[in-house]
Amino acid sequence: MPRKVTVDALACEGHGRCQNNAPEVFQLDADDISRVQLDEIPDALVAKVERAIRTCPRQAITWVEG
Amino acid sequence: MVAEKQTHDINLHDVNLFLRDEFHEAFRVLRREAPVHWNPGSARANGFWSLAKYEDILFVSRNPETFISSKGIGGPGERNPRPEDVARAAARPPGEGDSSIITMDPPRHVKMRRLVNKGFTPRAVNAMEPQIRAQTREVLDAVGDRASGDFVLEVSSQLPLAVICGLMGLPREAWPLMFELTNAALGAGDPEYQTAQVGTAGSTEAARATARAGNLRMAQYFREVLEQRRAEPREDLISILLEAELDGEQLTEREILEFCNLLVIAGNETTRNAISGGLVALDEHPDERERLQADMSLIDSAVEEILRWTSPLHHMTREATADVEIRGQQISAGEKVMMWYPSANRDEDVFDDPYRFDITRSPNDHIAFGIGEHFCLGAGFARKEIRVMFEELFDRYPKIRLAGGPDRLRSSFINGIKHLPVDYR
Repeated sequence: MPRKVTVDALACEGHGRCQNNAPEVFQLDADDISRVQLDEIPDALVAKVERAIRTCPRQAITWVEG
Repeated sequence: MVAEKQTHDINLHDVNLFLRDEFHEAFRVLRREAPVHWNPGSARANGFWSLAKYEDILFVSRNPETFISSKGIGGPGERNPRPEDVARAAARPPGEGDSSIITMDPPRHVKMRRLVNKGFTPRAVNAMEPQIRAQTREVLDAVGDRASGDFVLEVSSQLPLAVICGLMGLPREAWPLMFELTNAALGAGDPEYQTAQVGTAGSTEAARATARAGNLRMAQYFREVLEQRRAEPREDLISILLEAELDGEQLTEREILEFCNLLVIAGNETTRNAISGGLVALDEHPDERERLQADMSLIDSAVEEILRWTSPLHHMTREATADVEIRGQQISAGEKVMMWYPSANRDEDVFDDPYRFDITRSPNDHIAFGIGEHFCLGAGFARKEIRVMFEELFDRYPKIRLAGGPDRLRSSFINGIKHLPVDYR
């Protein structure tokens, strides 16, 4: 089943590591908050998202459960 | 039953270990033999837990309520602290910590970061790039036609000073004082920087007195700056801090002074050492250097490898607020935990061939800036400054070479280089 990922906009400080590591999925908006670009994460991008979650300096990225 | 704490012959109290690159070998042994070990106290300092593995440092960094910063971040603490320091620590409200953001705990810490964070995002840093490039060129202009010199004094220390003083609205004339006071604060354990006539050279007494005198002088300087900014607000960081409100209240003068102190110190010492250490690494790896100079589009990944390789900050310390088990070791509430970044950044479980300096290493998820609650606010500026410096340096002095070995700072906190002789042409 395709998975969903979310960014906690309050925790995000806009360091942009996720955008560097997985630009297909994360882009900083005009307020320097990371926004998820895809409703569902295709299998091919799961590893990149896992890396973004692991390297987020502020732990702002999580998988959506369920 | 209380389990025996794992210990090891390697003693991380020994500051001499950090004067040469051999501390990397010590950490390699610790990662294999005692990744979580208890370093017993010395006559002067408390014992502490030592973390050598990347994953364990991530775990501690990401649990800031269990591993707090407000009881000190720069080491295990002295065995017999001064009574006034003990009283001051005891008077701190729980969950708030000290007045400096670096020794503050949640929830106040995050709110404090938010006051200034917008000035440090990639967007803000990118907007500053033309200015940083101009400042870099000015620094290199000052080297001029010189054939040789001290890269630290002439180049690597100058750009970070220019940038942080610029952000804070301090004049060019303030650079030498900020340089001196940063050295006093972070290099207090090194005889070269010890100003105080107390104790013998290199002693704890001399270090303590030097750091205290430096911090007092810094506070005195910034009190005058605050006066000026109150009378005549500007667009700089200091004016932002003066106007900022947190939970409906302005910051206290002490909080603003501590913030200024941290901005100056953190803003220049670490980036200085990344630039100096980067030049050393490139000089020691001529193939990698040649590859970079032939294709400067590799600079971004080269900067990441320089950060991993140099790890400008050796450690941060936390104090456990609860009993926690890590890798089978029982850490008790009240015990200090030291996170060794150079070790994490050469962890064989995370990095392929970690002792290889590879400017195109990918992935390269080093934690030279820490991670989690206290992730370095200035990371974006550091990356930009290192990048622009090497672009401009190799453009201006493509043949720059080390003319001698680095003169290292005597410190287990900062991976510092005090002097670096170079031939510019």
